[in-house]
Amino acid sequence: MKRKLIVVTALMFAMPLYAQADAVSELQADYQAKGAGPFSAAAGEALWNKPFKNAKSGKERNCTTCHTADLTQSGKHVRTGKVIEPMAPSVNPKRLTEVKKIKKWFVRNCKWTLGRECTAQEKGDLLAFLKNL
Amino acid sequence: MSNISREVKIWNLPVRLFHWVLVGCFITAWLTRDDRYLDIHVFAGYLMGGLILFRLLWGVIGGPYARFCDFAFGWREAWDYTKMVLKRCAPRFIGHNPAGSWGIYILLGLGVLVVITGLLAFGGEEGHGPLAGLLNYAQGAIAHDLHELLAWVMLGAVAVHLLGVLVESVLHRENLIASMITGYKSVPPGTVSAAGGRPVGVLMLATIIAAGFSWFYGYLVETPEQPYRPFVGQQLPDNALWREECGACHLAFHPSLLPARSWTVMMESQSSHFGEDLFLEQDAIDEITAFLAGNAAEQALTEAAWKIDQSIPKTATPLRITETQYWIDKHREISVQVWRSPKVNGKVNCASCHLDADDGTFEDAAMRIPVEADSSSAAVFKIFQKAVRYFSFNSSPPNRLEDKG
Ligand code: HEC
Ligand code: HEC
Ligand code: HEC
Repeated sequence: MKRKLIVVTALMFAMPLYAQADAVSELQADYQAKGAGPFSAAAGEALWNKPFKNAKSGKERNCTTCHTADLTQSGKHVRTGKVIEPMAPSVNPKRLTEVKKIKKWFVRNCKWTLGRECTAQEKGDLLAFLKNL
Repeated sequence: MSNISREVKIWNLPVRLFHWVLVGCFITAWLTRDDRYLDIHVFAGYLMGGLILFRLLWGVIGGPYARFCDFAFGWREAWDYTKMVLKRCAPRFIGHNPAGSWGIYILLGLGVLVVITGLLAFGGEEGHGPLAGLLNYAQGAIAHDLHELLAWVMLGAVAVHLLGVLVESVLHRENLIASMITGYKSVPPGTVSAAGGRPVGVLMLATIIAAGFSWFYGYLVETPEQPYRPFVGQQLPDNALWREECGACHLAFHPSLLPARSWTVMMESQSSHFGEDLFLEQDAIDEITAFLAGNAAEQALTEAAWKIDQSIPKTATPLRITETQYWIDKHREISVQVWRSPKVNGKVNCASCHLDADDGTFEDAAMRIPVEADSSSAAVFKIFQKAVRYFSFNSSPPNRLEDKG
């Protein structure tokens, strides 16, 4: 209850960055509770760039397929062509501020890219990598 | 008679301006009959209507040769004259001859009908203009068909008129086209002149230029971030959850673009959405489905909605807007290169061409094919635009608001 209150106040008054740190640390704490950790930005970066061969199409996919290699730049959805706002929180303060949104896109994007859900360790690493960009 | 003839002003400035600007309107309207140039087309139509109104007035007060009473020939006279032309023994008329006069009556009458049906279609189908809301979409579509039919008939009348001008020019060895440009004809001494009318002509020209400037002003002050939209439609129903969930991977396609049965099936199969799993929770599915179905194409919130729904057989449940017949028909002329170009990026990227895709209104004249924007004429236009912006204080494009009343 108290924790929720803090989150709400943070969202209401604090800078977006504070909310970001909060959403990320909330998720990472969650992953730690499941036995993962400690998290490494380097491992996150490696996973972010690692290509996975898709079973159906035979083509290689990775996170940069849609988000592009330079995370301070806008990406492009590979199937629809829609512009995706930059991933780096330093240029796009709205990034990594919503627990629900991060969870949802981890499910969608990990399944799409890796062909399976990401483990708690992988997700914690990815967040460690992304949050400091 | 030729050795004693002299040059006399027969067509005064208002008559000539009326004639040539009307020609310009007619050609422009034909060239801009596609949806994407509707604002230009409508301007040509308004101008045509205004010119004809003016001509009717000038036909009463406009002086010799311009007044209707100076060429008030009966149908029989016109017919007899035509027969004489065929026998190559028709007398020469300084003003309009009987057959030509009938050509003018018919062209003026057709012009009026074309303008009226155009206004009816514009009001019924698009919900804009002075007659907005008078007709529904179905009636507007009938007015549209009639408008097209009349435009073809008018084209035929123009062809006959041109033929008449050529035959007369040859028959009487005079250049009628040049006369309509300069106003002068070679006539026997003592012929009445139609001089005067110059101030009226100048006023006419000034009005036309001012009207054009104010109608197209938005283009001159538009910026790449805020392109000018000549027509702005009604605000359509919106929903925050729908925008968030359905607008992340692609444009949030407005519910009005597919029938309710399509949306229901699409939401039921959200776990295999064109090869994607949307992982939506049940309460989100319910809310979004209700919003989609409640504002679906059947509700005819826009012209596009009505026409898309009309084009889908009742037994079909398309899951793609881009597979409905109306969509296919409207985009038939766009080439594969355009679809593949990086600026367009495929058919589902409606917003790369439709300025109002996000609002879902899909108004006419709000389409810009980005690939074509780099042409040299566009470059010249840009320079002109810069000059105008330099001299104008207001730099935000005014959107003309003409909602369905
Ligand atoms: C098929 C295209 C695609 C691929 C591949 C992809 N993403 Fe995404 N991702 C998206 C879209 C679309 C969004 C949501 C759009 C937005 O928020 O601007 C998104 C959003 C996210 C978010 C939410 C960010 C926020 O706003 O809080 C995260 C985190 C994310 N992606 C991580 C990843 C990771 C990790 C990978 C690789 C495993 C990946 N993405 C691969 C398309 C993709
Ligand atoms: C995870 C990404 C994603 C999300 C979220 C998503 N879509 Fe899609 N959608 C796609 C892809 C990919 C396509 C196929 C694009 C193609 O083939 O060019 C598509 C296609 C469509 C089309 C067909 C477009 C056409 O006419 O060709 C419609 C309609 C559509 N989606 C509606 C929705 C609705 C409604 C929602 C919200 C419930 C939604 N989408 C959410 C990825 C997504
Ligand atoms: C390559 C650019 C381009 C893209 C992308 C595009 N359109 Fe169009 N669209 C046009 C043009 C150009 C016209 C006008 C055709 C004409 O003049 O008849 C048009 C016409 C239309 C019309 C008819 C307007 C009316 O009601 O009279 C609708 C509706 C429409 N488009 C919907 C869509 C939708 C929905 C999408 C995305 C799924 C889309 N378009 C994608 C260029 C595009």
